[in-house]
Amino acid sequence: MASDYLVFDGITKNFGDLSVVAPVFDLSVKRNEFIVFLGPSGCGKTTLMRMVGGLDTPSDGEIRMEGEVIEKPDLRRGMVFQSYSSFPWLTVAGNVDFGMKYRLDLTPAKKAQRRDHYLDMVGLADFADTFPNKLSGGMRQRIAIARTLAAGSEILLMDEPFGALDAQRREGLQLELRKIQAQDSKTIIFVTHDVEEAVFLADKIVVFTKRPARIAEIVDVAAVFGKERTLEMRDSETFFKLRNDVLRMVRKSAGTIQ
Amino acid sequence: MTDPVALPHASAPRDAAVGASAGPARRPRKRVPLFARYFAFRAPIGQRAEVTIGIVASIIVLALWEVSVRYGWINALFFPPPSNIAATLWGMLSDENLLYHTGVSVARVWGAFLLSAVMAIPLGILMSCYRSVGAACEPIVDFIRYLPVPALVPLSIIWFGVGEETKIFLLWLGTFFQLILLVADDMRRVPQEYIEIARTVGARPIQVLSHVAFRAMLPNLVDNLRISLGWCWTYLIIAEIVAADSGLGFVIWTARRYMQTSEVMAGVVTIGLIGLVSDQLLRLLHRRMFRYL
Repeated sequence: MASDYLVFDGITKNFGDLSVVAPVFDLSVKRNEFIVFLGPSGCGKTTLMRMVGGLDTPSDGEIRMEGEVIEKPDLRRGMVFQSYSSFPWLTVAGNVDFGMKYRLDLTPAKKAQRRDHYLDMVGLADFADTFPNKLSGGMRQRIAIARTLAAGSEILLMDEPFGALDAQRREGLQLELRKIQAQDSKTIIFVTHDVEEAVFLADKIVVFTKRPARIAEIVDVAAVFGKERTLEMRDSETFFKLRNDVLRMVRKSAGTIQ
Repeated sequence: MTDPVALPHASAPRDAAVGASAGPARRPRKRVPLFARYFAFRAPIGQRAEVTIGIVASIIVLALWEVSVRYGWINALFFPPPSNIAATLWGMLSDENLLYHTGVSVARVWGAFLLSAVMAIPLGILMSCYRSVGAACEPIVDFIRYLPVPALVPLSIIWFGVGEETKIFLLWLGTFFQLILLVADDMRRVPQEYIEIARTVGARPIQVLSHVAFRAMLPNLVDNLRISLGWCWTYLIIAEIVAADSGLGFVIWTARRYMQTSEVMAGVVTIGLIGLVSDQLLRLLHRRMFRYL
């Protein structure tokens, strides 16, 4: 399995007596794959994602990125949180610049160029000098995405990033995120408890049981829809059916139905 | 503030639009009664209105006071009228060196305040960032925090005599141990997400602290500094009453000895004015510094 890009190898995680990730969790992720962690709130999926970021360490086992054990955060893996995802005291441009603040390999001119490139990509070029408090929740999430891309992260870790948005903005951002992922060839781990969001975004959905986290099922969405996603797809029979299948899996794994 | 229904003037066009469905030409502007405008629950009234109301209310209180003394409803010996106090204040500026005493008091307050701040800010930050420092300091801080400053005046005089050290010590004592906990709390309230964003883009711990955590807590810190500056004035008067031959507390206490009520009041008014002005200045500074809030 050495060729795999990101590998969860025999992970367990306990917080004191509380088992958060059940022994043992194995998963391997390919480069450029869009993985969605789907499961009930508090099931441990966020903890798993944080371990990829290096913000938490497994109690046992290891996570490897390109064969290298992840021990602490670094620039190759960027985080997009649901709330407090950008700094209020920096302008939009300042927030994106912050992603490159500790990169000594880039010249100031190169940094400015990257900043403008990614601001443009997420559609915030006109708001470069605005402070985040003047922007909508969706725009603030786009700041965070631009910051992580500018930082040069290969893996984007997104913890319910669209959780607080209304349905329309959410749909727009989902579409954009897929586009950005394809354009910039990123690997994404996206945590959500929204089934429809999971089916629309994912190449592969990992359905979790309730805590302690265990893989209930893995759904290969890319096998059905390929890499291309459109809004029309959402109305298709196939999408509907897949959504219902996944929904049933979630209910079953959460123990709501037998 | 964002709920348009709560604002009577904002809801007016909506009501009008409903009525106008018959013919768009006639759109009567709904007149909001005065009372409803200024007493709408939790609704803003505008900054100019707030300032005007503040000034008018103050003038009414002063006028009532003046009239009550003039008509002999209250005894001028105990409650000299505002006009009398203002005149006394004016006289004290030239006859009693009021400006000098004010200067001395201000210097003491700021000296002790800066000392407290310089010590409390780093220590408070350490307490919240490293749990062991917090665990070590909390019992001591909590113990001293609850000691009333006046109770320590005798000790302070034994230790430091009656010079400037005693005053600075008492003011420092009253603010440092409060401020340290406020600072620790401000730091604790910085969202974990900010810290983690910084870590994932490659910041080292000291950079996380100075570039992100400190910057994030700054608005609350400035607010808490403003509040503890107010406490300094409370303790200053205690310190100056007990052992001083200068400062506003000394002026007030001397005047009391000769039953010069209007001079006592003039001293109190001076303190109030300094408080009002410095608080407003700090608020203005806060708004300027933190426009993004």
